[in-house]
Amino acid sequence: MEFAELIKTPRVDGVVLHRPFLPTVEGTLCLTGHHLILSSRQDNTEELWLLHSNIDSIEKRFVGSLGSIIVKCKDLRVIQLDIPGMEECLNIASSIEALSTLDSVSLMYPFFYRPMFEVIEDGWNSFLPEDAFKDLESMTDEWRLSEVNKDFSVCPSYPPLVAVPKDIDDETLRKVATFRHGGRFPVLSYYHKKNGMVMMRAGQPLTGTNGRRCKEDEKLINATLRPGKRGYIIDTRTINVAQQAKARGGGIESEANYPQWRRIHKAIERSNVLQESLIKLVEACNDQSHNMDRWLSKLEASNWQTHVKEILTTACLAAQCIDREGASVLVHGTEGTDTTLQVTSLAQIILDPSCRTIRGFQGLVEREWLQAGHPFQQRCAQSAYSNSKPRQEAPVFLLFLDCVWQILRQFPCSFEFSESYLVLLFEHAYASQFGTFLGNSAAERAKLSLPEKTVSLWSWVNRHQEIERLTNPLFEANSLVIWPSVAPQSLLLWEGVFLRWNRSSKCLDEAYEEMVHIIEYNKELQNKVNSLRRQLAQLETEDPLLQTP
Amino acid sequence: MCIMRQGHKEELMEFSEHIKTANVEDVVLHQPLHPPSRGTLCITGHHLLFSDREENSTRQILLLLRNIDAIEKSVENLLGYSSLFSKADYSKRISGSSGTITVKCKDLRVLQLDIPGMEQCLNIAHSIETLSCLNDVSEMYPFFYRPSDLSSQDQWGLSSSEKYYSEHKELHKRWRLSSVNRDYSVCPSYPPAVIVPKDIDDDTLKKVAKFRQSGRFPVLCYYHRKNGMVIMRGGQPLTGANRKRCREDELLLQAVIDSSDKGYIIDTRSSQQVQQARMTGGGFESKSSYSCWKRLHRQMEKGKALQESLIKLVEACGDESQNMDRWLSKLENSKWLSHVQTALSTAGLLAECVERDGHSVLVHGSEGTDCTLLVSTLAQLIMDPCCRTLEGFLALLEREWVQAGHPFQLRCAHSAYSHVRLQQESPVFLLLLDCVWQLWRQFPLALGFSEALLLRLATEAYFSNYGTFLCNNDQERCALGVKEKTYCLFHSLLKPTEKEHYTNPLYEPTDLAIWPSVHPQSLQLWRGFFLRWTPQTRHLEEAQEEIRNMVIEWGKVALS
Repeated sequence: MEFAELIKTPRVDGVVLHRPFLPTVEGTLCLTGHHLILSSRQDNTEELWLLHSNIDSIEKRFVGSLGSIIVKCKDLRVIQLDIPGMEECLNIASSIEALSTLDSVSLMYPFFYRPMFEVIEDGWNSFLPEDAFKDLESMTDEWRLSEVNKDFSVCPSYPPLVAVPKDIDDETLRKVATFRHGGRFPVLSYYHKKNGMVMMRAGQPLTGTNGRRCKEDEKLINATLRPGKRGYIIDTRTINVAQQAKARGGGIESEANYPQWRRIHKAIERSNVLQESLIKLVEACNDQSHNMDRWLSKLEASNWQTHVKEILTTACLAAQCIDREGASVLVHGTEGTDTTLQVTSLAQIILDPSCRTIRGFQGLVEREWLQAGHPFQQRCAQSAYSNSKPRQEAPVFLLFLDCVWQILRQFPCSFEFSESYLVLLFEHAYASQFGTFLGNSAAERAKLSLPEKTVSLWSWVNRHQEIERLTNPLFEANSLVIWPSVAPQSLLLWEGVFLRWNRSSKCLDEAYEEMVHIIEYNKELQNKVNSLRRQLAQLETEDPLLQTP
Repeated sequence: MCIMRQGHKEELMEFSEHIKTANVEDVVLHQPLHPPSRGTLCITGHHLLFSDREENSTRQILLLLRNIDAIEKSVENLLGYSSLFSKADYSKRISGSSGTITVKCKDLRVLQLDIPGMEQCLNIAHSIETLSCLNDVSEMYPFFYRPSDLSSQDQWGLSSSEKYYSEHKELHKRWRLSSVNRDYSVCPSYPPAVIVPKDIDDDTLKKVAKFRQSGRFPVLCYYHRKNGMVIMRGGQPLTGANRKRCREDELLLQAVIDSSDKGYIIDTRSSQQVQQARMTGGGFESKSSYSCWKRLHRQMEKGKALQESLIKLVEACGDESQNMDRWLSKLENSKWLSHVQTALSTAGLLAECVERDGHSVLVHGSEGTDCTLLVSTLAQLIMDPCCRTLEGFLALLEREWVQAGHPFQLRCAHSAYSHVRLQQESPVFLLLLDCVWQLWRQFPLALGFSEALLLRLATEAYFSNYGTFLCNNDQERCALGVKEKTYCLFHSLLKPTEKEHYTNPLYEPTDLAIWPSVHPQSLQLWRGFFLRWTPQTRHLEEAQEEIRNMVIEWGKVALS
């Protein structure tokens, strides 16, 4: 095996594991190509199985011949391993460092993982664009499914099939693609059944400094407007940033060329700024100083909550344009692969009740993130503890999940899923045995043959046991648009992710269990009452004596 | 107007001099979470009543005037300045002058009343201003309130030192019930009966009382069944600048512990503060005179600092700037959460001394009527499962706050909106409830009562139909006949119909101590109280209501 050369010491006995809020475990540490395993070889004690790809960074400490490795994970957990023997400790540490930063995608664990469960429904086929389009077709005939990108040549980050206005032919699309950043010509993201308005997304227009225009682009987006109606373009950059983009070939839709569209600029931060924000936030959460002022200023200085607020505000704005103003919307920033997707996907959570179900949310992540070309591989390569210089890392998807959690918290009965679903997606986006979040685009996933060689996360989630675990016991289908409050006072720190390992959740978990138990028992009794009522009614009809008292 | 019943008539007579305009039609009410509505405004001696005139709805809003913390009025005599307004505006408002009264309540709600007619508006404002801060306790609403479902024959209160003593037979060997204070002459802020060491006679107590601030000699407030250790509380010793001693005081404390053992004194002031206190006649227990006692200092804010913290916090919560940084820095500047943290960690320390280290503890600050009670109450909740039931908690509040002499009347005279110069106001009790809420949030199964109870208590302490939180101590309540002439809140909360609402459906008693995490990251703003009137809190309330209904339904089904 290729990994063998990276593992000098595959096994150490007498290793002590320290985990927050759990008793220490002594046992044997084993390194495999993809896992760090600690087993006490006793019944009833949990084994630790940690994916190397979940390890963000490690620290080594030595006291005499006893070495300690502090392992900091991408899911924000921190554990400590005490390893007897300096050489063993150094070997283990260097193996972990090497194995946790493998660059080659095809060496990743999903390619080696064989499911221990029966795949009932292959998640790779659960959310095909053609199926989503069938739903759209049942509502409107104004759109068509174009195969212009079937070999990924028009837009490398788009899927092979995209929905575009019916009257726009593939030739036009090719021209528009050359005018939009990354070839990302405007495509349909969401159709609002209630009033037929739509949300589209794209890359920025490449107007450059001399104000280049593209008639085809204008034609395409105008084709989505009803006669006499205006639309809104939501640019996720400030006007200044957008103007500056012209110098590098980017730009904005000018009023002169797009008279039927009103541009609104919103400031959503991206890339490095977000990554730094996450690092600061996690550092603040781990602060042990017991000082309230220090905690609150660190929380403030991290700016994380500000980002949450800005994203939610922009998503509400987009939803408002569609639902309240009855206008269509085009969303873009620069590439259209990060902030754009945050806005379009959150707007759908607000507007569309079907996105608030377990399966609907998968569909949303699949459509608006995976197929829409959010570069998961690059963005989630490192998390908050990494010491290496950040390259393309940014917690864009985590911020999206945080925003969903804020809405979930404000509308605790409107979501079919519970918080654990969001935490699960966070974990798997950063490290997973499943292939779902590998690669940066549909093109890369096709090239890696992920559907053939790896298991989809959805195959695992959409099983009875998992669904049950992820279901929100309070759920009551709510067909309404839900408008979250975005006042700073209404937004909370997502404890379930950021303080998950800093507090004991035992009591909270117990309370949750108890609530689930009560609700289930309630249902059970309700069924019993109903069946007794039916029996009684039946007896009454059968026994004429009972009818006339 | 069914709520006022018989009391109504006498009220009108007594307060009529303050009410020039009792009724105004066509008033528009703006309140949080509701669309504006038009109706009739009515002022009585104790209430502001607004009844909705709109068809199909007979919404009434009845507000105790005592609930009103501050009002702001703005009146416009439009006729004089009519040229300043556009034509449309002018014709709309030609009917005359009008005014607006913004009513800011102690439960943190803000209402706005648009009143036609400048004079009416001024009259109403004047009535509210006068009637909302009447100083005479005997004129307050609890003396007029006659609920139909409580009989005045009911026993007043749930607990007392006598009851506590008789319930804890283990105490009887070394402790006794003293009635040295039966006429309140030894300590005006203590109840008539207190629990003291058996070997200490009443004469000694009288001497000790002279040595402790306000006569608050050390008394037992909690007996820890697991190891027989106790919590005592008192006022600061009056050692003064020349380090006065009091043999009887030393004797009393010595009698609490075995000669070989030691005890802790938790002083809720910093060691610097206690040195300064000597200059004004106060002081601390010196090592040389109290060799078996170890002093621990934990500085807790009280009085004005706490009141200002509340004002800043409420101001921050009402900030509409939509700016996250501003909100977080205002929250930090208010220091409220720091006070929560300090209170909980001091209580944790106290509980640790008793439960983990197995020592008895004496708690005091200066007067021993504020932070002292905050800490001793929280420590009991942490250690004693009996205090965590609905009845147990109310009994604890009665013993440790009402009877122990927390001056509710002074502390809760005004809340966060008042413009009146602060006197003795301080949200110590509110801080306690906030800390209890933090416990409740960290241990959702361990407490038998619901957040709704804490919310209810947070308002009842400031304004109430019941007499429980009237006056500053037992003596005052006795002098006014509060127990004979008013109704007891705690009994009302325990009525079967009410009780359901205040019970925690998830409650599962545990015998273990519940140690709260006091990491700043673990403490949260009590949104249910401080952001109660914002829309998002309402969704949460709906969800909680949903759970509650389900549980109640479940109970019914299970019974049938």
